[in-house]
Amino acid sequence: MAALPRRIIKETQRLMQEPVPGISAVPDDSNARYFHVIVTGPEDSPFEGGLFKLELFLPEDYPMSAPKVRFITKIYHPNIDRLGRICLDILKDKWSPALQIRTVLLSIQALLSAPNPDDPLANDVAELWKVNESEAIRNAKEWTRRYAMDN
Amino acid sequence: MEQFEQLLTCAICLDRYRNPKLLPCQHSFCMEPCLEGLVDYVRRQVKCPECRAEHRIPYQGVQGFPTNVTLQRFLELHIEITGELPDPTSGQVMERCNVCSEKAYCSFCSHCDKKICEECKGAHMEILRREISRINNQIRRGLHRLQDTLALVEKNTQSIQSNCSSVSEEVEEIYRRLSKAVKDRTEYLRGEIDRYLGTEMRSLTNLKQNLEQEISNILSNCDLADKHMNESVDIWDDCELMDAKEIFLKTVDFIRNFEYENTDYSRRVRLVLAHDPNQLVLHVAGFGDLNLANQHFSQGSGMLQPPGPGLMRSKSDHRLATQFRQQEERGYDRGGYGDNQDEPLLGGRKFGERPKTERYTDRYGRGGNDYSDDYDDTRPARSRYSRFRRHAQDNDSDSEQPGRGVRFTEQQKIEREKVLDTEDVARGPLSGITRLADSPRVMKKLQENESGKKKEKEAPPPSQPAPQPKIVPKRPPPPANRQVSEEDEIAKIKKQNKGATTSAETETRPVERVAAEERHTQRKTPAPEAISSAEESDDESVTSLQQQQQQQQQQQQQQQQRKTAKTTTTARRPSDAGHIKSTRSASSDSNTSTETSTGSSNAVRSTGAPFTTEEVKQKYLSRGGEAPQERTRKSSTGSTKEAQPQKQFQSRFLHNKTATPPATTAKDNDETETSSEEETESEEDSDDNTTTPKPDTKEMAKTDIGALLARSANARDSSTENARRSSRDESSSTYTRSRYTAPKEDSPPRSRYGRRTSAVQDDEPPRYGYTSRFLNKSKSSAALQPEEEDHRYGSTLADDSDSKYPSSGRSRYMALKERRQRLARSKSSQQFGDDEDIEEQLSPTSSNPTAYLASRGYGSAASSGYDLSRSRSSHALKSRDNSPDRSSNATEKDGAALSSWARYLKNKYGNRNSGKDKESTNSGSPGSSSSTTARRLSLGLPLRSSTELGSSDDDQKNMQGSPTTPPTAATAAAGIAVAVAGTSPRSQYLQKCQQLFEIGSRGSEAGCFTWPRGVAVGPDNSIVVADSSNHRVQVFDSNGRFLKEFGQYGNGEGEFDCLAGVAVNRIGQYIIADRYNHRIQVFDPSGRFLRAFGSQGTADGRFNYPWGITTDALGFIYVCDKENHRVQVFQSDGTFVGKFGSMGSREGQLEHPHYIAVSNTNRVVVSDSNNHRIQIFDVNGKVLSSFGSEGSEDGQFKFPRGVAVDDQGYICVADSGNNRIQIFHPDGTFLRSFGCWGIGKGEFKGLEGVAMTPNGHILVCDRENHRIQVF
Repeated sequence: MAALPRRIIKETQRLMQEPVPGISAVPDDSNARYFHVIVTGPEDSPFEGGLFKLELFLPEDYPMSAPKVRFITKIYHPNIDRLGRICLDILKDKWSPALQIRTVLLSIQALLSAPNPDDPLANDVAELWKVNESEAIRNAKEWTRRYAMDN
Repeated sequence: MEQFEQLLTCAICLDRYRNPKLLPCQHSFCMEPCLEGLVDYVRRQVKCPECRAEHRIPYQGVQGFPTNVTLQRFLELHIEITGELPDPTSGQVMERCNVCSEKAYCSFCSHCDKKICEECKGAHMEILRREISRINNQIRRGLHRLQDTLALVEKNTQSIQSNCSSVSEEVEEIYRRLSKAVKDRTEYLRGEIDRYLGTEMRSLTNLKQNLEQEISNILSNCDLADKHMNESVDIWDDCELMDAKEIFLKTVDFIRNFEYENTDYSRRVRLVLAHDPNQLVLHVAGFGDLNLANQHFSQGSGMLQPPGPGLMRSKSDHRLATQFRQQEERGYDRGGYGDNQDEPLLGGRKFGERPKTERYTDRYGRGGNDYSDDYDDTRPARSRYSRFRRHAQDNDSDSEQPGRGVRFTEQQKIEREKVLDTEDVARGPLSGITRLADSPRVMKKLQENESGKKKEKEAPPPSQPAPQPKIVPKRPPPPANRQVSEEDEIAKIKKQNKGATTSAETETRPVERVAAEERHTQRKTPAPEAISSAEESDDESVTSLQQQQQQQQQQQQQQQQRKTAKTTTTARRPSDAGHIKSTRSASSDSNTSTETSTGSSNAVRSTGAPFTTEEVKQKYLSRGGEAPQERTRKSSTGSTKEAQPQKQFQSRFLHNKTATPPATTAKDNDETETSSEEETESEEDSDDNTTTPKPDTKEMAKTDIGALLARSANARDSSTENARRSSRDESSSTYTRSRYTAPKEDSPPRSRYGRRTSAVQDDEPPRYGYTSRFLNKSKSSAALQPEEEDHRYGSTLADDSDSKYPSSGRSRYMALKERRQRLARSKSSQQFGDDEDIEEQLSPTSSNPTAYLASRGYGSAASSGYDLSRSRSSHALKSRDNSPDRSSNATEKDGAALSSWARYLKNKYGNRNSGKDKESTNSGSPGSSSSTTARRLSLGLPLRSSTELGSSDDDQKNMQGSPTTPPTAATAAAGIAVAVAGTSPRSQYLQKCQQLFEIGSRGSEAGCFTWPRGVAVGPDNSIVVADSSNHRVQVFDSNGRFLKEFGQYGNGEGEFDCLAGVAVNRIGQYIIADRYNHRIQVFDPSGRFLRAFGSQGTADGRFNYPWGITTDALGFIYVCDKENHRVQVFQSDGTFVGKFGSMGSREGQLEHPHYIAVSNTNRVVVSDSNNHRIQIFDVNGKVLSSFGSEGSEDGQFKFPRGVAVDDQGYICVADSGNNRIQIFHPDGTFLRSFGCWGIGKGEFKGLEGVAMTPNGHILVCDRENHRIQVF
C-alpha cells in the first residue's frame, strides 16, 4: 500500500484542527482512509437533535474519485435508503476533486435539511414525503428520536 | 496571510501549487498529479473541479494548458516573504517508480539501477544494510579460514624449502657421481692411448734399425762385389764364389720380396664412443628434471597443496564475499597489487591475472632450468599469490556461473562509481579488498555519525552520484607518492581509531594492517616490479578477459532473474552447510533449466543435495579445462577419484535426462506427423470429394471420357501387378466390357484393350513406391474406419479413385463412367490383391458381383434400393418417359445418377461409393449406348445431334445404315439444328464434289487470310478460322459472312504467334492452339481472353508447336502436340488430364500429328501426318484403328493434315500432299475423295484444317490459296 497522499493527510489535519460545526470526522486507527463520522441533525429539520453516524472511506484514487459515504444510523429520509446509502450527486457523477471530506459532509448535512423526494432512493419514503409530507416528517422525527438520540 | 496561503494552494492536492496550469475557466491546478488525474482520456477532456466546466485537452496533453505565471510569481513572492525553503521536489518531474509503479519523485537507486521512489529506496537500503551485516557475520565466521590458510602457507613455505634443499642436494649428488665417472673414464682412456703409443713406437723403431742394418749389409756386399768379384783375380775359389753368389741371389730375392707392411702401422687410434657425443652431452646436461606439476594438484602431496578448500572453496562464503564486495561497493577484488583504479574491478582484474598464472604453471611443467630460474627468482611469493588468486577467481566464476553474485554484472559494467574508493586506500593484496577505514568518505561519515554510533561502517550511497571526482589513472601512480599518501592515511586512521568508534573491520586487524602497510612501504623496490609484471600480464590477457566478461554478462541475466528472490529471502545464506546446499540446489535448478532449456527433467531436479553435486559436476563438465583444478580444490569434500567417476556418472545421467525428452518428443513428433499425415490424407480424400473442381455437371454426363482419365491415371499409378493379377484384370475387364457393351464384333478390340492395359501396367514397375504409399494410405484410412476393415476392397477402391487423382477431380467421372469404373476396379483389385490374397477370391469380377458386394456388406439393400429409386426418380424418369423401349437403361443410368449420390455418400460414410458404382455397373451393363444418351438427356445435356443417340458407342449401327433419329433425341436436342437428320450421310457425302462457296483471299483485312490453318465450326454453325499469319481468329457465319475477328501478334494474353488450330467448345468458347507461343488460349464466345495454359517443353502440359486442337462434348481439350509427337488432353480449365502417343510409326505412335477430331462416340481421330495415316484412339489413348498409307490411291495419304468427324462418325481427311479431301466411313473404309491441286473452285494448294458442320457441310482450309472452301 502506497503511502498516504499528502492531500489526505492535510485534510485530516484540517478536519482535526478546524472541525466543521456539527460534524466530526475521525480517521480510523488502523486505516487512515476510513473515517468515523458523526453529523448532527440540522436545526429546523426533522432530524434535529439527532446524532447520525456515518462511515466515510476514501478510495484509492481519491481525490480523483468520490469518497464512499454511508449512514450507519437508521434515518428516515427520501434520499437515504435502508442501508444508509446516500443519493447525493456530488458523491456520484458530480464529484469533483476540488471537493473535500468536509464539503461532502456539509453537503450531507444540507441534504438532511432539504430532502429531495423528487430524486429518491428510498421510494416508499419519498412517496410518503410527496403525498403526505407532514406524516413523513413525523416519521422522520420518530426515527431520529428512536435511532439517533439514544446514545 | 492565511487567505494568501489559500490562494497558493491547489484545490486538488491541497498543497502549494506546483507548476500551476491555467484552465480556460481561469482555475488553476498543479500540472502533476492533480491535472493529470483529472483527464478523461476517453473524451480527451478535463473537467474543472471547481466549476465543472469541461475543457478539451490540448494536443500535447495537460502540459499544453498555459502555466499560470501570475500564480507562479506569487508563489515565488510568498517564498521570499516567508523565507520558507523551496519545495525540494520543485523542478523535479514526477515519474513512475520502477518498483512500486507509483508516481512519485524518483531518484536513482544504486541497488537496483532504477529510478525509484523514496519509499522503495529506503526499503532497498534497509535490505542492503541487512545483507551487509549478515554477510559480515559470515565473513567473521569464515575469516578463520584465511588464518588457516596463512598457517598452511607458512607450513608450505617450510616444506618447499626443505623440498628444494633436498632436491638440490640430490642434484649435487648426481653431479658428483657423474663427474667422477667422467673423470675415471677419461683417465683410463688416456692411459690406454699412452700404452698403445709406446708399443707401436717400439716396434717401429726396431723395424727401422733392422732396415738400416740390412741396407748397410747389402751395400757393403755390393761394394765388395764391385771391387773384387769382377776382377779376374783368382783370389776366390769356387766355393767362395758360390757362397757369394748365393748371398747375392738371396739379397736380390730379399729386396724383391721385401714389402713393408704399411697397414700395420698406419692404423689410427680413434675414440669410439658408445653414444653420440652430442647426445651424451645432452644427456648429461639434462640429467635431471624437476617435475612439480602433479604435486600442485594431487591431493596426496601436502607440500604445495593450495589452501583452496578453505575460504575459496566454500561457495557460500565465497559467494557472500562476492556480494560483500559488490554491495559495499568496495571493489572487493579490485586490482590486486595494482592501485590503478580504473581496472575492471572484480572479474576483470582477476581475469587479467589468469594468463599469468597459466604461464606460470607452464613454466612449472617445462623443465628444471626454467623452473629453477623462476624459482630462484625474487618473486616466488608473488607467484604463489597469483596462484591463489587464480583459485579465487576460479571460485568466483564458479560461484557466479550459477548466478550467485547478486549484482556481479553491474560490477562488471564498471559504470558505477565507487564512492568509497580512493586511490589511497590500502588494499588486500589477494582480494583487492579495500580497507574501509581508509576511505576518506567513510571516515567522514564516521565522524559525522560520531554521536549517533548506530550507523554502521558503511554509509548508504548518496542519492546523487558521488561528488568525488573520479580519478582515472591508467597506470599506477608513482610509488613514492603512494607511499606518502599511505602514510598519511595511516596516520589519519590511527588518529581516528583512537577517537572514533572504529568499524568492525578496522578493529579486527589494525595492528597487522599497519604493520603490513609499513612493510609494504619499506619494500619499495619489489612492489613496483610486481605491479608492472602484473600489468604486463594484464595486457596479455585482454582477450581472455573480454571473453570472460562476455561469459559473465551472459550469467548476468540469470543472476538478475534470480536477484529479486535472493534479496528478499532472508535465509538465503544460512550458516550450516547443508542448508546452503539446499538453497544452492534451488538456484541451480533454475540455472539448469535455463541451461538445458528443455525443461524436461524437472522431476529429478526437485531433489536437494544430490542434485547439487550433480549440478556442480555438470558445470565442471561444461567448463572443460578448469574442471580438474576445481575438483582438486574441492577435495575437502571428497577425494578426486571419487569425484571423477561420480561426476561422469552424474553428467551421464544428466545427459540422459536431457537426451531422453528430445527422443520422446521426436517420437511424439513422429506420431503427430503420422497422425497429421493421416489427417491430411483424409483431408485430401475429403478435399477430393468436396473441392474437386467441378466442370459443368452437364458435362459430367458425358461419360466415356472417364476411360481416358482412368487410363492415364492407371498408366501413372499402376505398379505392383503380377502376371496373374493382370490377366485376371484383363479377363475381368473383358468380362465387364462385353457385358457392358454387348456388341457383336466389338469384343476383340475390347479384349485387346484389356490386354493392353495390363501390359502397360506391367511395363511400369517403378511406380511401385507410389502404390505402396497408397496402400499404406488405404490402410490408414481403414484404420480410421475400422468398422470397414473387412471392406478393405471397397475402401481401397475408393481411396484409389480419390486420392490418386487429386488434381483432375475425376472421382466424379469415375463414378459416372463404366469404363472408368472398370479400370478403377481392376486397379484397386490389383492393389488390393497385393494386400490381401484372400480377397481375390471374392473379387468383384466373380460371377456374382452383387452377391459379392452383398456379402461384403456393401450398401445395405435399403440404401442401394434407395439410391436406385432416387436416381431413377430424379434422373431416369424423363428418359424413360421419352424412350420407354429403353427402360432397361434405367439401371445403367442409375449408375450415372449414383455418381453424384455416391460422392455424397462417400463424403458422408467414407469409401463405399465405388462398390455401389460397381454394383450399378454390373447390373446395368447392357444397352449402354442408349443409356449414355438417356443419361445425357436425363442430366439435361443438350445433344449435339440426334444421330448421336444411335451412333453412340457402336459404329456398327451406323454401318448398318440405320440412321437413328429417335424422337426422344430430336425433342431433347430441339435447339440444335439437325439438318442432316433424315438423309443418309453416305449419299450426302457421295454427292459432294463441288464447292458451295469460299471465304477469303490473301490479305490482312477482315475476311482475308494469310495462310489460314485451323478451321472449326461453332455451336451456332459459325465458321471459325485460324488466320495464322495474320495472328488472328476470324469468325464467319454459316454463310461465310464475316462476323468478327480477335487477336493480334504477340505473346501476351489474347495475342497469337502463328496460331494453328482452333476449336469451339459446346458453350462457344474459342480454344486456340497458339503455335509459336506453345500454349493454348481460351476465349469466351465474344472473343475475350479467358485463360491460357502451357508453355514450351516436353513435360505434361507443355507443348512443342501445338497444332490441331479440338474439344469434346465434356469440354475436354485435345491438342496435337506436334513436335512432341503426342496428343495431350486437358480439362476445359487447362488441367492436364492425360496424353498419348510418342514418336514412331508403330501402332499408337505418332509422328508430327497435325490435326485431331473427336467423334461424339469419343473416338479420337488423329492425322498422323508423317506416317501418312489416320489413327483412331479411344479416350484412353488406346488405338482403336488406323488406316491409310503413303500414296495417292484412294485411302492413301500424303501428309494428311486436317481431320474432321461428323455426327455419324464419318471422317473427313485433308490429304494435304495429294491436295484432296477424302471421306471415310466410321470404320475407316474409304468412301470417296474429291479435289486436286489448283487455285480454282474445288482445287487446293496445301490443305490444312477441315471441319464438318452439323448440316453436313465440309469446311476446308485451302492454305496456299488463303481461303476457306465449303462443300
